[in-house]
Amino acid sequence: MSEKQVSQQGASAAKLGAGDKFSAYFRNHQMVAVESLAKLLSTPASSLLTWLVIAIALTLPGALYMAVNNLQQLSGHFEASGQMTVFLTTDIREADTTSLRLKVGSLDQVNKVVYVSPEQALEEFTQYGGISEALSFLDENPLPAVLLVEPPLGIDKDELNVLVAQIKSFKHVDSVQVDMAWVERLLALLALAQRLVAVVGVLLALAIVLVVGNTIRLSIAARTEEIRVIKLVGGTNAYVRRPFLYSGFWYGAIGGLLAWLMLGLCWILLQGPVADIATLYGADFYLQPLPFEPTCWLILSASLLGLIGSWWSVKRHLVAIEP
Amino acid sequence: MPMVRFDRVSKRYPSGNEALSGVSFELARGEMAFLTGHSGAGKSTLLKLMMRMEVPTRGEVVVDGSNLSRLREGLVPYHRRKVGVVFQNHQLLFDRSVFDNVALPLLIAGTSLKETGRRVRAALDKVGLLGKEKLNPIQLSGGEQQRIGIARAVVNKPALLIADEPTGNLDPELSAEIMNLFCEFQQVGVTVLIATHDIALVERMNKRRLILQDGQMIAGNHTDNGAAYV
Repeated sequence: MSEKQVSQQGASAAKLGAGDKFSAYFRNHQMVAVESLAKLLSTPASSLLTWLVIAIALTLPGALYMAVNNLQQLSGHFEASGQMTVFLTTDIREADTTSLRLKVGSLDQVNKVVYVSPEQALEEFTQYGGISEALSFLDENPLPAVLLVEPPLGIDKDELNVLVAQIKSFKHVDSVQVDMAWVERLLALLALAQRLVAVVGVLLALAIVLVVGNTIRLSIAARTEEIRVIKLVGGTNAYVRRPFLYSGFWYGAIGGLLAWLMLGLCWILLQGPVADIATLYGADFYLQPLPFEPTCWLILSASLLGLIGSWWSVKRHLVAIEP
Repeated sequence: MPMVRFDRVSKRYPSGNEALSGVSFELARGEMAFLTGHSGAGKSTLLKLMMRMEVPTRGEVVVDGSNLSRLREGLVPYHRRKVGVVFQNHQLLFDRSVFDNVALPLLIAGTSLKETGRRVRAALDKVGLLGKEKLNPIQLSGGEQQRIGIARAVVNKPALLIADEPTGNLDPELSAEIMNLFCEFQQVGVTVLIATHDIALVERMNKRRLILQDGQMIAGNHTDNGAAYV
């Protein structure tokens, strides 16, 4: 046989155009993606265990995030209003209240003034029940007249303080109470809770990377022989790595999906009780589920963490296997 | 340009054991040769150097024009795709069918599915296992498993085929069949090198013989040396 013929035959092994190579590469990715998922599903018990661990690790910060998100929304209601209650002195006469009301109403930073007479206040008060009997023992109505003052939405703290000082300086005004202090405290607590979400999230993300890394390490150990043979017949490191990286991705992605389902379950279970509490407080509030965008981030970051975990494991354990 | 060239190759393992010392020989394209010697003489090491499973401590190994000592790590898989290799212990995967075992090199190389099916069936036909492609290799006999290994080694149409004790576990009749198979590959232009200690078989084949003793090549290192042909 001539040398020319031989070399022609040898070349046939590498007879692939650039386009062919590209489509072969994609076909391989597609195939490995499907096969690695099928492999995980073929051992449902052990895969489910890993998926549940990941899901629980994600549900915890997810639920915290959901709680903070809801509280933020709740505090938003109050923060925006800055409503204040102006208590009038008890010796005020009917005519004075009218002029005071007009005076307060004419201030720049006041949107609306509502006058609540002692009688109205008493009536409202008795509606809460239990107290009416106690009140009936008193000879006269102990409640002062009140002006409910509503500043414009989005008023800032300095402007609000100026307004409070102005109203306090009026005659017949006993005291002014702004429902801001507890909002500030709530906001501080929320900032703390947000930080907590971040810290817990980072710790549990690390846990997911370790869990996936360890799972992949075990599956590498179980497939040592296969890896050796693949390398022997010319499999590149990328080719050997690919199924493990896809496995890691699937662990993360499906774990993330399960976490989303768990958060949904939490929402369904808590929605009713929260609505009941809100009704008791007369608040127009209901528990929001995890919004769409954070849901996407949840599943995306879970997939990414799975990928990182498997990458880390593959990097450590795969290079050691040589034919 | 020869298919394989060893130039004063020495291989010392980290344990201090010198498996090969100063081995030089050439294999022409399309040539078939046997590599013999007592166990521990360095036959496996020599084959591993050709696969770039090991690198020489000294000297040069050149296969199909590329110097394996200077081959970048990332190009090693592409070198291995050009070399078909058969082992005594088959190195088959028992979690998949005969077809999938033979198709593995093509799958790795990214051959199209249609072409893969065609080539795998051609290779299985060549080794006489065409009807058994759907079986698991574990269901087949030792001789048949060895033939799966050979089909896998040739499915990618390599220019060089090497075998490490391919008849080690087989009876004389099956061994002769396997050897005839290798001869057929040589007849279509493949360079073949077979390591074996089955002297009787080698003598019947009337091919060039490379003999290793304690890591040194004591015969067959010159193609013009008549003594090398036993």
